[in-house]
Amino acid sequence: MKKFLALVMALCMVLGMASFASADEIKNLNTYETQARELETWNIHYSQAAADLNVLTNCFDGLLTNDNHGNLKPNAAASYGTEDGGKTWTFTLNEGMKWINKDGEVQADVVAQDWATGLEWVLNYAKNDSYNSSMPMEMIAGAEEYYNYTKELTETEGTEAAFALTADEGSKFAETVGIQIPDEKTIVYTCVDALPYFASVATYNCLYPLSAELIEEVGVQGYRDITWEDMWYNGAYTVTYFENLNQKVLTAAPNYWNAENVKRFDTVTIKMVESTANAYQLYLAGELDHVSLDQATLQEIYNDDANPNKAKLVEARPTKYSYQMHLVYSKNKEDDTPDDNWNTAVANENFRKSLYYGLDLTNYLARTNSINPQKCQNYVYTGNGVAFTSDGKDYTELVRKEIGLEYDAEKYNRYDPDKAAEYKAKAIEELTAKGVTFPVEVDYYIMGNNTTAAETAKVLENIFAEGLGEDYVKLVTKTYISSLANEVRKPRYASIFINGWGADFADPINFLGQETYDDTAAYYSNAYSMINDAKDEDLIAAYKEFTDLTVAAKAITDDIDARYAAFAKAEACFLGHCLTIPMSYEVAWELTKINNYSKVYSAYGMQAYRYVDWETNTDGYTTEDMEAFAAAYAAE
Amino acid sequence: MAKYILKRLFQSLITVLLVVSVVFILLRMMPSDYFFTEDELMKFTEVQKNAKLERLGIMAMCPECHGSGKTGEEACGHCHGEGYVNRSVFAQLGDFFYEMLEMRAYNAKGKEVKTVTPVPLWTYLRQQGAGEDPFNGTLKDGYRVKLAFNLGKSIRLEKGQYVTDVISNKMGVSMEIGLISLAISLVLGVVFGVAQAHYKGGAFDHIGTGFTVVVNAVPHLVIYTIIMIAGSSLFGLPMRYDATAANPTLTKILPIVCLSVASTAGYMLWTRRYMVDELNKDYIRLAKLKGLSTRKVMFRHVLKNAFVPLAQYLPYSILLTVGGSLLVETFFSVPGMGPELTKAIGRYDLNLVQGIVLLYATMGILGVFLGDLLMTVIDPRIKLTGKGDVR
Repeated sequence: MKKFLALVMALCMVLGMASFASADEIKNLNTYETQARELETWNIHYSQAAADLNVLTNCFDGLLTNDNHGNLKPNAAASYGTEDGGKTWTFTLNEGMKWINKDGEVQADVVAQDWATGLEWVLNYAKNDSYNSSMPMEMIAGAEEYYNYTKELTETEGTEAAFALTADEGSKFAETVGIQIPDEKTIVYTCVDALPYFASVATYNCLYPLSAELIEEVGVQGYRDITWEDMWYNGAYTVTYFENLNQKVLTAAPNYWNAENVKRFDTVTIKMVESTANAYQLYLAGELDHVSLDQATLQEIYNDDANPNKAKLVEARPTKYSYQMHLVYSKNKEDDTPDDNWNTAVANENFRKSLYYGLDLTNYLARTNSINPQKCQNYVYTGNGVAFTSDGKDYTELVRKEIGLEYDAEKYNRYDPDKAAEYKAKAIEELTAKGVTFPVEVDYYIMGNNTTAAETAKVLENIFAEGLGEDYVKLVTKTYISSLANEVRKPRYASIFINGWGADFADPINFLGQETYDDTAAYYSNAYSMINDAKDEDLIAAYKEFTDLTVAAKAITDDIDARYAAFAKAEACFLGHCLTIPMSYEVAWELTKINNYSKVYSAYGMQAYRYVDWETNTDGYTTEDMEAFAAAYAAE
Repeated sequence: MAKYILKRLFQSLITVLLVVSVVFILLRMMPSDYFFTEDELMKFTEVQKNAKLERLGIMAMCPECHGSGKTGEEACGHCHGEGYVNRSVFAQLGDFFYEMLEMRAYNAKGKEVKTVTPVPLWTYLRQQGAGEDPFNGTLKDGYRVKLAFNLGKSIRLEKGQYVTDVISNKMGVSMEIGLISLAISLVLGVVFGVAQAHYKGGAFDHIGTGFTVVVNAVPHLVIYTIIMIAGSSLFGLPMRYDATAANPTLTKILPIVCLSVASTAGYMLWTRRYMVDELNKDYIRLAKLKGLSTRKVMFRHVLKNAFVPLAQYLPYSILLTVGGSLLVETFFSVPGMGPELTKAIGRYDLNLVQGIVLLYATMGILGVFLGDLLMTVIDPRIKLTGKGDVR
């Protein structure tokens, strides 16, 4: 009944907005990126950067995509499924798909073999430099073996020998890797194990098609360096203009196989702008159709009742990135000797817990969303919306239940001064006995010329001082020049890193698997926390406990609910030992002529930037319009 | 004079080669980690890193150990079983110059055919001379062969694209708006400078001086913002460069105005200063006493002499328009050369840095040389050769 009433109310609100419905839909969309996010490669199999994939996802159709709720949806595949619980997956392609060049001229048919050619490229050590190879290597039978074969071949006989490999029938690839092409329209993947989430990987570029005829035309080196002018497209758009650091124009692809079923813009122009402040001026001049607002501009509009844009302020949907404060367990001082004071302190669970409970991050969240800072709250590690139980419950709800922490629109719920004081007292006692001196300095690095980061760091310094006292712990902001990896991460100078991780596929292992102990594939363990070099036995025991729980959860493949429940316990263990501190989500404000709830929305992968089926309005939407869309969306 | 020009050209060539070599060597002396992206640095194994460095020509496969499985005491003393050894920086420099002189195949549309292996110029000439096919029959009908003057490929900013292509695409855009703004600022700057000198101490002089002071004192980004907002709201001009717009010329107006403002102020300042200097000289007083009209005095005598020091920098300014403007081009998203060097340095795109330095060095040296020649044309009293008061 409740749901029905919500639906009726949402319908009424949408009907009530009929007044703006007369406005036209946008035919030629003008969007933007800041110049720091310029595309670096047109090779979709090579790229791992969002700046590239946000464009390329429009040029190529993978097997599956997502709808506006994040559900998997057939794309190049007309149907898909598994009959053995996820060990083998069969995808059947649509009829009539063509490869076209940028001018829309048909070059070849899109056939199932193109997916084998694409996978061979990704797994070939010499061709793709190991980019995007980790997911198929972990999931597809024989993929790792083939990768190692190409690696050995490269090393013994040189790159040309590996360049010559193909995915043709009878090839080493066809013999080794778990991908079968029984006919021109069918692709069968065999996984290393039953992987219930494998279908979500089919939205990602590691499983995208590549025509062997294109390779023949441009050569292996030519495809490595492919440009928009030479590549073949099978997606909704072709690139018809590109000028580095100026703009890209995507044009609705002629001869697109799915043209009748998807709504596309005639053109999408992606303009490169100097800054978001500059983008705001362009929006006011009508040269852009949406703009994300920096906090200064947001406040300027919000505090001025006479500003015509105040009624058009719209809260964006959260991005897929879950931001964490990663603690470094094997840190060095700037003289390259171990920072024993920090390493001892951070290994102490009471010290970590005092940080966990002692920081009221409200002002920090306001740096992203000054109107509704609590909308940016994040209390768990895995991102929202990555995985759902069989009854449609977000996996992160399970984790929040396990740790007993729920979101609150009014206050920052994790902050608990009493608990923080209790853990602080215990930590002081235990750490003093181990020779730790106070205040413990927390070295936090930001880029030297980034004034926004400097202001945010100042806010964070105050949060540390107010929540825990400068006599106990002191956040020290330091700067690097241009390369965080070279100047800070590699020499291990930082005590903490704050950054976000977005999932590539729909399973919690994509998050938790980055943090496991003694695992070379665990990205954050090896690149950030450096846990494998830590010495403290209690700390290592906590990590091992979490790792064991994660491995056990990963092994559950026949019952998705049991699998997620087990992952939730593992994640609760991770958070319970405070091995990381969840920080925030990005929920910004914007002015827009696009209905955010009509766009592809996915908490994983690269489909969210597909410019298909978008609802738009040349007059722009108001706050009320967007709230009505949100209500209707929630009721769907 | 011809001997002098040849000598200067030869000196210029040596200077350019030296500059490029020094920059090349300095860049290769950086830690090799700078050749990797943040992701690569953290994710790549040592083998992967070595393989990439080998592809970039920085390392080479160890002839003794690579692929042999030798480790520990079995391995040679150079690579210690890693299979790769560092290459001498001079060998790398040799490769750099070697690859400049490669013959490559292009299709009818002018695109390079990457399935055809390039051939060094001298091999090409030798085999052609001997009646052999340097490309072993891989050239199809319609392909043509030309010297690529290859400066390597961009490794980050425009990954895989030839540095020469990247530079030539961007140079034209920068030169177009740069030359137009230079012409505007030269005309306006000199005319207003002359007028200021003529009405020295008057209202026009004060306004002109005020303008130059404001332009030099206020940060350029503030001036550009004011021009951008005023140009857009008052005249409806587009706020960013857009070659695909219905009227692309309109989108170039604001960047050109911004570029012109600062240099106009510069030309006004120096023209006025040199003119005032000249106006106080005896030969001007004599000309006035002889009854020459003010116009003739100002333009035939004063300006001609005052312009000599300005002229020296004119060729330099013209040539350096290929370099574009970092601020203006970034601000208006002009796809020119302006931001390229800083972005290339920021992302450690070494080949691109190398190529841009080569271009700037050549233009700078050529500019000074042509400036000297232009001065002798405008003022024949100046001699570049001979003994005594030569430059």
